[in-house]
Amino acid sequence: MAKLELSGIKKSFGTTEVLKGIDLTVEDGEFVAFVGPSGCGKSTLLRLICGLDEITAGQMAIDGQIVNDVPPAKRGIAMVFQSYALYPHMTVADNMGYALRLAGTSKQEIKARVDTAAKVLRINNYLDRKPRQLSGGQRQRVAIGRAIVREPRIFLFDEPLSNLDASLRVEMRIEIARMKDRLGTTMVYVTHDQIEAMTLADKIVVLNAGRVEQVGSPLDLYNKPQNRFVAGFIGSPKMNFLTLGAATGESRFAVPGGEIRIPAGLSSAPAEIGIRPEHLELVDLGQQHTLTGTVSMTEHLGSDTYAYVSLSSSEEMLVVRLSGERAVKRNQTIGIAFDPEMIHVFSADGQTIASARPVALEAA
Amino acid sequence: MLDLSSTTAKIVFGLTLALIGFFLFFPVYWMITSSLKADAELYKIIPTAFPQEITLHHYWTALTQGRLPTYLLNSLITSGSSAALNSLLALYAAYSFAKYDYFGRQPIMLLMLSAQMFPFGLLLISIYPLWTQFGLLDTQIGLILSYIVFALPVATYMLFSYFSQVPDELIDAARADGASDLRIFHTIVIPISIPPIVTVFLYSFMWSWNDLLYSMTLIVSDDKRTIGPGLLLTYLSDSNSDWGGAMAASLVASAPIVVAFMFLQRYFIQGVTAGAVK
Repeated sequence: MAKLELSGIKKSFGTTEVLKGIDLTVEDGEFVAFVGPSGCGKSTLLRLICGLDEITAGQMAIDGQIVNDVPPAKRGIAMVFQSYALYPHMTVADNMGYALRLAGTSKQEIKARVDTAAKVLRINNYLDRKPRQLSGGQRQRVAIGRAIVREPRIFLFDEPLSNLDASLRVEMRIEIARMKDRLGTTMVYVTHDQIEAMTLADKIVVLNAGRVEQVGSPLDLYNKPQNRFVAGFIGSPKMNFLTLGAATGESRFAVPGGEIRIPAGLSSAPAEIGIRPEHLELVDLGQQHTLTGTVSMTEHLGSDTYAYVSLSSSEEMLVVRLSGERAVKRNQTIGIAFDPEMIHVFSADGQTIASARPVALEAA
Repeated sequence: MLDLSSTTAKIVFGLTLALIGFFLFFPVYWMITSSLKADAELYKIIPTAFPQEITLHHYWTALTQGRLPTYLLNSLITSGSSAALNSLLALYAAYSFAKYDYFGRQPIMLLMLSAQMFPFGLLLISIYPLWTQFGLLDTQIGLILSYIVFALPVATYMLFSYFSQVPDELIDAARADGASDLRIFHTIVIPISIPPIVTVFLYSFMWSWNDLLYSMTLIVSDDKRTIGPGLLLTYLSDSNSDWGGAMAASLVASAPIVVAFMFLQRYFIQGVTAGAVK
């Protein structure tokens, strides 16, 4: 187990700066997930932690010891790669024991550690097989086993489940969750799958364009996003955003399909509001509602129904999450109601205005 | 459109293949049958398609009375050594081109490949005085080095293409496991690259085994001669008329290449990297 500290980490490839100063602390035994859009630098950051690429600027420390110039194997880190990266000419046992052999561990010790890890991962019957004789899920277990036998201080995972089919992914996700509880080792996990990040991580780091947008627990990020990017990135389907029109009397703002009041006295001027699909409700026009729109499409997923509502006098569309049983007719004009407490208000530069307390107004 | 499963198509394809096969294999067939015919039958005005009487006399004479065994051994030494050295050098050069980024990598590679654009004979003109200067003329080492000059660029390029496709993650995984760069190359990359290495070895071996121009020019002593010039000078002179012997010797000379192919061809089709990465 180990504490990982990154301060001012920068990485450039030629003239392109991929990481623009990352400050982050991963506590001992913590499971941290890096999420962000493609090209945000999450995999690059993981490679820097592993020692596969050199840090351009900044400092990295493991348990207080600066490791900028320490080679990968000496950092006490093991990495599980997206493509498994198993050595195709070696058996499963040889794959798992390769790092230990390089470290000069005795044969008995290697065998014992490989056997233990193989039993835990239920691959003990395949130890003599070559990777090509294994299924995708088994290969991923071998890749994880190869990391476990090294008994590292920190585990790194680079989108380890993205090559598996949906059902196997769920199974392996549970496997990793169990592993996390059993080993209690510090883990850093890169993923583009929000469900993996939300379910596995103690802490999520949202990266965008080489910068950390927000660090927090999964629910913190969901409930209290610090900016529009995080608000839009965390949550599926993503948060609905509505641009605020010019303020009229009593801080009333026109939004497509209705009007909303955001009391004055804020740190910066509100420019946009956001509300999650699950916090919206479809109501008959006779009932109290704030926005009006027309149902243009519905998606029935069994457990949920997503209604896409075009707002009156606008091309903007809201996604509303409803229960699976709820039937909504297409082209039906309908009212949208919501709890104003659930609204996030953003300034023009995309920052959350935390003190904003909007009031939902009744549609005329 | 032509229906590929129709009888007409089958007949057309069959006939085309038969014609190609005839042109390809008839010389080989003629070589085999002629080597097995007795002298009297060989010189008939109307040649026979099948030997009326099979004799191994020409093989016996070629192997015992001429210098064929010496030529064969010389060829084996020069071709084997040049192929081995060539493959070894190409391995390291290709890997460095494929997986490392350093100053001058691109120009060096282009320079190396440009050597292929010169006609073989032209380079011989510059190699000859150079080898004379270094005392490499009429030596097997000189011949081996001259073969490397030619085969190395192509061999390097062949391996470069393969190494470029070796997944970087595989190399990263080995680095994370604690292997040094050379160790990764020796214990991970080379073992999964056996098929292209065998291909390169065979290519280099065939190149030097089939060479006539260089060995004829750079080797003067009869006891150092390789199989190509050896056969040519023994059997294709104005006074010679031992066609049976020439055919038998040619077959014996071709045997190592054919045998090598028979044993090593499985490597060409074997997908060793299957299962490495998804």
